[in-house]
Amino acid sequence: MSNKNLFLKSAFVRAPLQNGVGRYVCQLQRIVLKFCKSHGASRGIRDFIEQDLVDFSRQNPGVVVYLKPRRHRGPVLVAEYLNGDRVWMSVHNKTHSEITKWMEVLRTQQGDVAGARLKKYQYTDYPSVQGPWTPFTFKDPELNVATLPDPKFGANNRLSVSATEKLRLMFEKQKISEKDMKIGE
Amino acid sequence: MAFVKRLSTLLTRTRLSIPINTQSRKIHRWVSPTLIELKYREKKQGGKVFNPRNQFLEWNLEAELYAFGKRLNEEFDSDLLLQAFTDRSYVIKEEMKQKEMEFDLKMKDNRELVKEGEQFMEEYIKLYLETVLPKFPMEGIVGIKNHLMSESVLSNVSLYLGTKDIILAAEYPVDHQTLANTFKAIVGALLKSSGEEQTAHFVRDFVITQLQGQDVNEYWHIEDPWTMLTELIAKTGSELEPRLIGEVGKNTLLACYRVGLYLDKKMLSSGFGETVAIAKEMAAREALKKIFGTEDTMHPINFKLNGIPKSTSDLRYKISAN
Amino acid sequence: MSAAKRVQQWATFARTWHIFDCKWQDPYQSAEVIKKYLLGMHKPIYHPMNDCGDVVVCINSREIALRGNDWRQRAYFHHTGYPGGATWTLAWEVHNKDPTMIIKKAVYKAMRGNLQRRHTMQRLFIYPGEEIPEDIVQNVTNQIRQLRLVPTRLDHIDEEEVKKFPKVMDYPTDYVLK
Repeated sequence: MSNKNLFLKSAFVRAPLQNGVGRYVCQLQRIVLKFCKSHGASRGIRDFIEQDLVDFSRQNPGVVVYLKPRRHRGPVLVAEYLNGDRVWMSVHNKTHSEITKWMEVLRTQQGDVAGARLKKYQYTDYPSVQGPWTPFTFKDPELNVATLPDPKFGANNRLSVSATEKLRLMFEKQKISEKDMKIGE
Repeated sequence: MAFVKRLSTLLTRTRLSIPINTQSRKIHRWVSPTLIELKYREKKQGGKVFNPRNQFLEWNLEAELYAFGKRLNEEFDSDLLLQAFTDRSYVIKEEMKQKEMEFDLKMKDNRELVKEGEQFMEEYIKLYLETVLPKFPMEGIVGIKNHLMSESVLSNVSLYLGTKDIILAAEYPVDHQTLANTFKAIVGALLKSSGEEQTAHFVRDFVITQLQGQDVNEYWHIEDPWTMLTELIAKTGSELEPRLIGEVGKNTLLACYRVGLYLDKKMLSSGFGETVAIAKEMAAREALKKIFGTEDTMHPINFKLNGIPKSTSDLRYKISAN
Repeated sequence: MSAAKRVQQWATFARTWHIFDCKWQDPYQSAEVIKKYLLGMHKPIYHPMNDCGDVVVCINSREIALRGNDWRQRAYFHHTGYPGGATWTLAWEVHNKDPTMIIKKAVYKAMRGNLQRRHTMQRLFIYPGEEIPEDIVQNVTNQIRQLRLVPTRLDHIDEEEVKKFPKVMDYPTDYVLK
């Protein structure tokens, strides 16, 4: 229920700037690929840069791609999003295909989604179409003019009808039909 | 003191590497004194240091501007876009610098584009709202328009379109006014490079959609809803009658009343309140919402209208005129 | 928060006052019903962490009905805390001492023992008879239905009506009723 003594931020599912209501905007604005030209840990990212990077930036003209070669430092992806989030990710010893998949993840997410715990998997500003419940919602209007306590509203009305009561009701019904017969004659 | 010395390297970085993102039930005893010490040193050095993104090694303004247009699916004239991102403060600062170095390079700021963009947005948003809220009075439409054109909304839109780092301004981080002005200038630049219809769709997709999930009645404050309602009803010749249709805990602090408004003995609306007077006023507000077609259960506002709608302000009634 | 949302919230969390007639009702079964109203469990907005309980006014607590030989055999236990301080009081003794005590204890026992219980009990008003203070009557806007039908005693019916009631036969004049 409450989790406020933990450090992980909590959040609701929200689209930034009503994204998709008007038009879709890719939320990844720039990505920096930092790597070493000689170290073995950067092997996968070098393969990715040689084979796939040009296609990637051609398919995503809205993403600015920077390459930053650094001597004997670990390979890193830094993604920056429109909402100001910055995702730093080490790709040390990652293979070419793994990096392709991680690039896809960074491209399609809307920000640093791993930095927050979702309170719920759905969110709405208007939880009810009819309007929220109030004590007046299903209230019997007759109670407005009644003087309480009143056996009419207080007596149990959910008991099953007893055999005697049933018999009496049948008798009442019969009487009415006899009267009707007389009128009919 | 030794551990403070060890931590002193942390100071030079912008991001603290204190493990505040790990999940644990315990906050270590050193966290608080360390944060206090860091805060104190930061203050001593003259406040928080911001490293502007556009002064990083990996920064290419031309590529950023190109990607900005592509991301929004718009064709911008590159010179105009650069002009739109140039704030007046930046031009002044550059001119001072150039005077010192004794050479002259003409730079254009975005004041003109701001004016054009603002004018276009004012007109278009008004026309659009008139079309999608056909029964809403003119005063209300102007209220919503003023909300959409306010600095807080436009700066928010601008921020989430990623202008913060690209803006050329004297200060960093840029303030809300600069952000809002830049957005207006972008609209102005788009107007010059792609034409009216394309710009209209841009404004619709990024500004008018801010109304999604909002209650439009909040942007128009009605001082006396009961008088307004009775004046409107009086013209139709019907009889308006408020009735107390529910009360709860009359003699307590938490009393709640429900007043229903009946028009020719048929229920028009109802409102709640802690006193009968407030409940009656809220019922009148609900009734006005119904008349104006902006009740809570209204159809969502259409955000897909194409082109620039035609003006209908002449046919539309004004509350103040009546 | 806009004005409309504010009054909506006010109305949703308004406290309703209910009245419950304890005449001929089993206090332990009624307590289960009263508890639901006190905690707000009858509302669709119920959640253990929101404060949505209502107020219940019980009347005629003097005329409750206990099952079987409970009046004679049910004992209420109390311990003063001192050695030898335990007492067992029978239900009829408790009822003679304070006619509201049995229903109060029944409702108290029906609720879970947490910190909220004593505060919730503050919203329960019990009156031994029909007479309630005027300001409380004015607050009441709803009535909780009883669990059992209230029987009518023969000596409460008019003598004339009893005489008129159709009989299969009359007792012989020399018949001695036990």
